[in-house]
Amino acid sequence: MGHESNGVSNRDTPSFNFYSDRCASHMLRKKLPFLHSLLSPVSRHVGHLAGHQYDVIVVGGGHAGTEAAAAAARVGAETLLITQKIHTIGALSCNPSLGGVGKGQLVKEVDALDGLCGRAGDWAGIHFSILNRRKGPAVWGPRAQLDRQRYRDFIQSELLSTPRLTVLEGSVEELLVTEPNPEEPGHHRVTGIRLANGSHAISARSVVLTTGTFLSGSLFVGQTTSPGGRIGDAPSSPGLSHTLRERLGLRTGRLRTGTPPRIVKDSVDLSLAKLHLPDSHPTPFSFLNTHTHCKPEEQLPCYLTFTTPGVERVVRESLQLNCHIQQDTKGPRYCPSIESRVLRFPGRSHQVWLEPEGVTSDLLYPQGLSMTMPPDIQLRLIREIPPMRRAEIHTPGYGVQYDFVCPTQLSPALQVKSTQGLFLAGQINGTTGYEEAAAQGLWAGANAARWALSMPTVTLSRTESYIGVLIDDLVSRGVTEPYRMFTSRAEFRTSLRPDNADLRLTPKGFEEVGCVSSVRYQESLRVRNSLQDALTALQALFLSTSSWKKKLPSVPISETKSTLLTGLDLLQYNDVTFEMLASAFPESLSSYMEFAQRLKIEAVYKPHCDLNKKEIERIQREENMSLPQDIDYFSLPVSLSDEVREILDRVRPSTLGAATRLEGITPAAVVNLLNYVRVTEKKKETHRNQRHQEARGILKVNLSEKKEKKVRCREHTLKF
Amino acid sequence: MLPLRSVCGGIWRAAVHTVRTSRGAPPYRLLSSTCDGAPAALADADTIFALSSGHGRCGVAVVRVSGPASATALRCMAGFTQRLPPPRTALLRSITDPRSTEVLDRGLVLWFPAPRSFSGEDSVEFHIHGGPAVITAVLQALGSVPGLRPAEAGEFTRRAFQAGKLGLTEVEGLGDLIHAETEAQRRQALRQMSGELGRLYQDWSDRLKRCLAHVEAFIDFSEDELIEDGVLNRVDVSVRDLQAEIERHLKDERRGERLRGGVQVVIAGATNAGKSSLLNKLCQRPAAIVSPIAGTTRDVVETALDLGGFPVLLSDTAGLRDSSDLVEREGVRRALERVEQADLTLVVVDSAHLPSEVDRAAAFLREHLSSVLPDTGRCLLVLNKADLLPEKQRQKLDMELRGVSGLPAVCLISCQTNEGLKDFLTVLHSSVKTLCGDPLFGAPTLTQARHRAHLQRCAAALAQYQRYRDTDLALAAEGVRVAVTSLGRITGRVGAEEILDIIFKDFCIGK
Repeated sequence: MGHESNGVSNRDTPSFNFYSDRCASHMLRKKLPFLHSLLSPVSRHVGHLAGHQYDVIVVGGGHAGTEAAAAAARVGAETLLITQKIHTIGALSCNPSLGGVGKGQLVKEVDALDGLCGRAGDWAGIHFSILNRRKGPAVWGPRAQLDRQRYRDFIQSELLSTPRLTVLEGSVEELLVTEPNPEEPGHHRVTGIRLANGSHAISARSVVLTTGTFLSGSLFVGQTTSPGGRIGDAPSSPGLSHTLRERLGLRTGRLRTGTPPRIVKDSVDLSLAKLHLPDSHPTPFSFLNTHTHCKPEEQLPCYLTFTTPGVERVVRESLQLNCHIQQDTKGPRYCPSIESRVLRFPGRSHQVWLEPEGVTSDLLYPQGLSMTMPPDIQLRLIREIPPMRRAEIHTPGYGVQYDFVCPTQLSPALQVKSTQGLFLAGQINGTTGYEEAAAQGLWAGANAARWALSMPTVTLSRTESYIGVLIDDLVSRGVTEPYRMFTSRAEFRTSLRPDNADLRLTPKGFEEVGCVSSVRYQESLRVRNSLQDALTALQALFLSTSSWKKKLPSVPISETKSTLLTGLDLLQYNDVTFEMLASAFPESLSSYMEFAQRLKIEAVYKPHCDLNKKEIERIQREENMSLPQDIDYFSLPVSLSDEVREILDRVRPSTLGAATRLEGITPAAVVNLLNYVRVTEKKKETHRNQRHQEARGILKVNLSEKKEKKVRCREHTLKF
Repeated sequence: MLPLRSVCGGIWRAAVHTVRTSRGAPPYRLLSSTCDGAPAALADADTIFALSSGHGRCGVAVVRVSGPASATALRCMAGFTQRLPPPRTALLRSITDPRSTEVLDRGLVLWFPAPRSFSGEDSVEFHIHGGPAVITAVLQALGSVPGLRPAEAGEFTRRAFQAGKLGLTEVEGLGDLIHAETEAQRRQALRQMSGELGRLYQDWSDRLKRCLAHVEAFIDFSEDELIEDGVLNRVDVSVRDLQAEIERHLKDERRGERLRGGVQVVIAGATNAGKSSLLNKLCQRPAAIVSPIAGTTRDVVETALDLGGFPVLLSDTAGLRDSSDLVEREGVRRALERVEQADLTLVVVDSAHLPSEVDRAAAFLREHLSSVLPDTGRCLLVLNKADLLPEKQRQKLDMELRGVSGLPAVCLISCQTNEGLKDFLTVLHSSVKTLCGDPLFGAPTLTQARHRAHLQRCAAALAQYQRYRDTDLALAAEGVRVAVTSLGRITGRVGAEEILDIIFKDFCIGK
């Protein structure tokens, strides 16, 4: 195995290196022989790639990077994905699970845009459940525990079989930056990357950075600190941080996250924990899958246990040995580790979920026990919990500190505002979680490809998707703690449901972005048309309340009202299901049985969605008014206070809608900005028209016409 | 499509019928089910109304309604049951309260269907008599029509602007206009919010925010984290109590502070400058105690007067100075509070304390102003005790201080000799006249109507929580969200981060 192009140098890897190159490659070769044959021509020969011009280069093969690379290739760009170790593509750094409340919505939306993680979850899932089942379809959280190996295999095979996508193993030393294109806003332009261990430069029109927790990453265990982005993996090259900070002048911050120890399954007494069974009929994530790869009966259960006072005692006793927590003065509002949980909420019992890592894996993942204390103390703490009294730790828990770039410096297309062609996605923007990273990765990758192919970039509104909420929150407000998606962040939760992600995003993904395959697009159209036809059929069923009572005797319909009700009105009743209506009216409704659940949800939520419509339209109108990037807010000839000018200059919102959501912007300021946008638009239009007319030899500057208009305006106001 | 229209028409008629015949039933019930168990079929369209004329010397008040539900208002209140009137034709009608069918006034109504109206949407204008009782009654009646709410600052103008109805020349002063309206609303809200009423609203707001935070926590985290049992039960109790309290408050119109109408003019200044003398002069009767001892006025002395036909509420305040006396300190605090809520401030300065050089006088006055007023609010500078100045200096001051930049209008008077009072009264009269021309100044009834509408919406939204509590918690949470937003229009906007702060403080949430 040649190492000349491998960017990882051995002196950088941390001391406890459980996943050596050789071991992992051996496993991979054993499991997927065909992959290995593909690896050789791809990974080692950097030389011939140097002269190759790519459209998009994606740096980092994590969840954001894989989605970005796949999306860019789907849009039609020649894409290169560079990662330090090919066999860690698709690795789940922390909890081997996908989805949940809020995060599940993101997975569905990424799938609706033809992303990978939804289908990967269906392939690799070993325990499926829908959280919040009894709280209403708007907040259902599809979730799955994953087999790590299967997930990795799926992602890797998908990537390696995607046309126009090349995967390269290497470490990026720096970005190539030149003078900007004067016709576009920005102070710099990115033209490619340079690899470490050699002066090979690879050029591309756009670069997507998805370095995750690797940017100046350091690992913490107890008192020991060592550079690294994940256990067993070196951090990304310091040259990259340097370029971002010094050369491009980007503001960065430092964030921390952590992970629990992995426990040997056989050393745990699961009879002392509470059994938690999955759904009897697992629901797949992807809109294109009718069932999951794992059969319902093959699913593995999870186990629930609780901390004891002994856990709290161990944490307190070892505080001085735990430098990660000691420095945690301005930590996030939530509790990222077991240490912060017992310190902030003492005297309570906290939940610990014991989750299997894979069908053939002999490890358990204890969710809720992230810790950074020395390994021997971790063992003591684990053994305070009854089922793990004699447990053995396979890999200790640890903390990671890493640099992130303040996301207010990004446009809604996730492009760095000051640098043409540079896109950032994933934890580098200050988010936490695979789903958040995947969503950003897909969007940044698609836009990077469009940029490289000289197409306009696209934005997602917070009124139409959770991805839009995520990007808008990041870009308008920035982050002070790792950003995690909750449903409470979305104002229009009733309209942005996991069941209708395909209707909201797939058509846009195909028609406007270009990242959706025609198969998926056709399927979404079929669904949309069928649902529309079914709703029309329901509305055409038109009876008095007494007639309805005769047809559906079990439903409590009041007969006092003499109004007529449609099938749609009936479906809103709690006790009425679509199946009942279809059996009462088989001729018109039985062909839509496939959509029974979706129709019920649509009917129940329709009046609430209608209530939101006006507000949504207003926000969308404001978002469509874009503010140019290079406005000098301080000298703008518009009546704005100094504070407002300062805020606008600092944040540089991309649209009027984003400006209205900033703290400290008054209604008067918004109207003045609106006025400015309108006036400049009008001026540009008149100039364009004048030039057109001049070109054709007709120039009508009719002064009397203008005077007439002014008089009419004055008359207009006098009436009121 | 015919059946659909008649269905809609049927539900429509049912709604209007309920509006007209329910006696004393709270109007918000219209937003709830029209059929048992089924949710609302009427969408809450964004229709706004506001008083468009000034008050004071107004025989006629104009109330404008704009939005899709304007036709409903016309039908409910002007008795057009069958067909709408011909557009842009003034008709004399009896204007009735849709809840009690009591006739409120007889006036002109005009119907402007979109797009040819001021705001580009369907619009209605009610031309009614300008008395405060009639205006209040009509505004409250409008607030009870489903789909209508009072306009926020600048909303009418903004809608006209967005519909492209305002030409580029009019638009230049737009921002300032909206700023002025926002400021006026804010000052009015401050007046209403200080004291018991303010504390009541703030208490409701805090409890509602906590309810919302706990419901959101239950939705977002209860599957993964240990949210104690009983969290939702406590929210149920809290929501029930809040709804009952709000409804009780709405029913009881007479209790609580009755704010008096009129332009709020506050006399402020340093001690012994002659404020109380000025008040007495303006009232033409001794309303305030005048004595040469500094620090005489401890409290705020309020008088309502008619100033050349315009209603004015004049307040004399304690002299602004640092004092060790507790009572006087409280008086100073109240004075500063009043100045912040004032529509117009008369800053009284003892002329004898002015420096002799005129340019130094201007700087002195500017500094004095900035220490008294919160920002550059509307004010008049009154230089009192002019009789103590030598004649030459008086004339010089008079000439020089006219038109100095950074200073408002300056008047030299003497309460002792009545010198300069006539000119001062003219200036004051014209300032008050300008203020009265604006419908927002001195009309607490408008703010009260706005608050009522928001509270009604809040209570209706809390009913939605109770309806969906067991079947769909997401929809129930929507109810609490709308309630928080509605109340937030009174007490101040609540952001998503504020709710998250409460969640993370009350519950232990992991990564």
